[in-house]
Amino acid sequence: MNYNTDKKLRLVVCTHCGSIFNSKEIICETCNSPLSQRKKYAFSKTLCFTLISIIFFIPANVLPMMHVSTLGIVDSSTIFDGILYFIDSKSYGIAAVIFIASIMIPIFKLVVLSYLLFVVYFKKVQFARTAIKYFRIIHFIGKWSMIDIFVVALMIVIVQFGHLTSITAGAAAPAFTIVVIMTIFATHSFDTRLLWDEEEI
Amino acid sequence: MKMHQNKIACKECGLILNKPKLDQEHQFNCPRCNACVYKFGQDYKTIILMAITSLILFFPSITLPLITLEFFGLERSTTLIQTVFVFFENGYIGVSVFITFIGIIIPFIMLILILFILIPLKNGASYMKVSGLLKTYEHLLVWQMAEVYLISIFVSIIKLNKMASLNIELGLYFFCAFLFFMFTTIIFFNPYDVWKKNEL
Repeated sequence: MNYNTDKKLRLVVCTHCGSIFNSKEIICETCNSPLSQRKKYAFSKTLCFTLISIIFFIPANVLPMMHVSTLGIVDSSTIFDGILYFIDSKSYGIAAVIFIASIMIPIFKLVVLSYLLFVVYFKKVQFARTAIKYFRIIHFIGKWSMIDIFVVALMIVIVQFGHLTSITAGAAAPAFTIVVIMTIFATHSFDTRLLWDEEEI
Repeated sequence: MKMHQNKIACKECGLILNKPKLDQEHQFNCPRCNACVYKFGQDYKTIILMAITSLILFFPSITLPLITLEFFGLERSTTLIQTVFVFFENGYIGVSVFITFIGIIIPFIMLILILFILIPLKNGASYMKVSGLLKTYEHLLVWQMAEVYLISIFVSIIKLNKMASLNIELGLYFFCAFLFFMFTTIIFFNPYDVWKKNEL
């Protein structure tokens, strides 16, 4: 089937207000935003952010997330230890929530981002419809992987009993935050219109 | 005229379509990628009222205690506003500031922005004036994570329940109510309406 795209008709769409202009225009008349046919450097930006989050994903899971000290005895736990703790104490619902939010969702996001980059780079337009479905999923679930960071932060604030018992954050907390921020940046800088662009004009 | 008035574009796949006849009830989807191309939100009055309601609920929800923890006879209650200050005393200031921003401050800023966009528009100001604010609002939409914050409060309650005895206080109920009204505001308000309201 033959579709009329903005590239083919030599038009440019304002992503802010949705007005359409000839591709020579650089400033939107309606809302004063700068115009460009595709987001600038979308592919390389997404690639970089994805790579950074893959690198930081390893320390985020290996290093301890939280140090609990009770009467001077320090007990460190990683993200996975936290899940095992909930399974041991028979709260399977919470264990499932933490497992999905902090292990499954980041991995799924990284896999989908690589798939999107693959589709764009090799111009596999026949996969575009599936790819955009996955893009919408990761766009929607992206923020839920922050849950573990929030829990650690709250625990630190709530449990402050001086020498008796207190909780401090471990080195995995900033690493995991970087993973989440970078995946959000990657999805945000990706231009879904690239999936459908077949030929260079 | 440089602008193409009779055409409409799908922002997600770049397809150019002839403009359909618009009405308040229907939603228009892109035939190629199934993205939502056109959908109207509620009228401005409803959104403004919802935003004001959630702003009023915001202040008790951050100042009233959320939970009280008892540990060997020591009692300690926590409010959301305390979380902002205690973070600075611990290490990892970057993470702490980021969490405070996405959990508490950005939702608040978004509600203020909605009021600053809609009240002038309702009084007949031109949309050029609110364009910048609207852009900021659309950027912040990705970074607001108040609902994740709420769920993590519940998770930490369950986690701490095993360590010590714990009471849920009034602040948590206010926070739930605040989130409910904030979400209705965000869902009712469609930024696209600002541009297309005059075409109905």
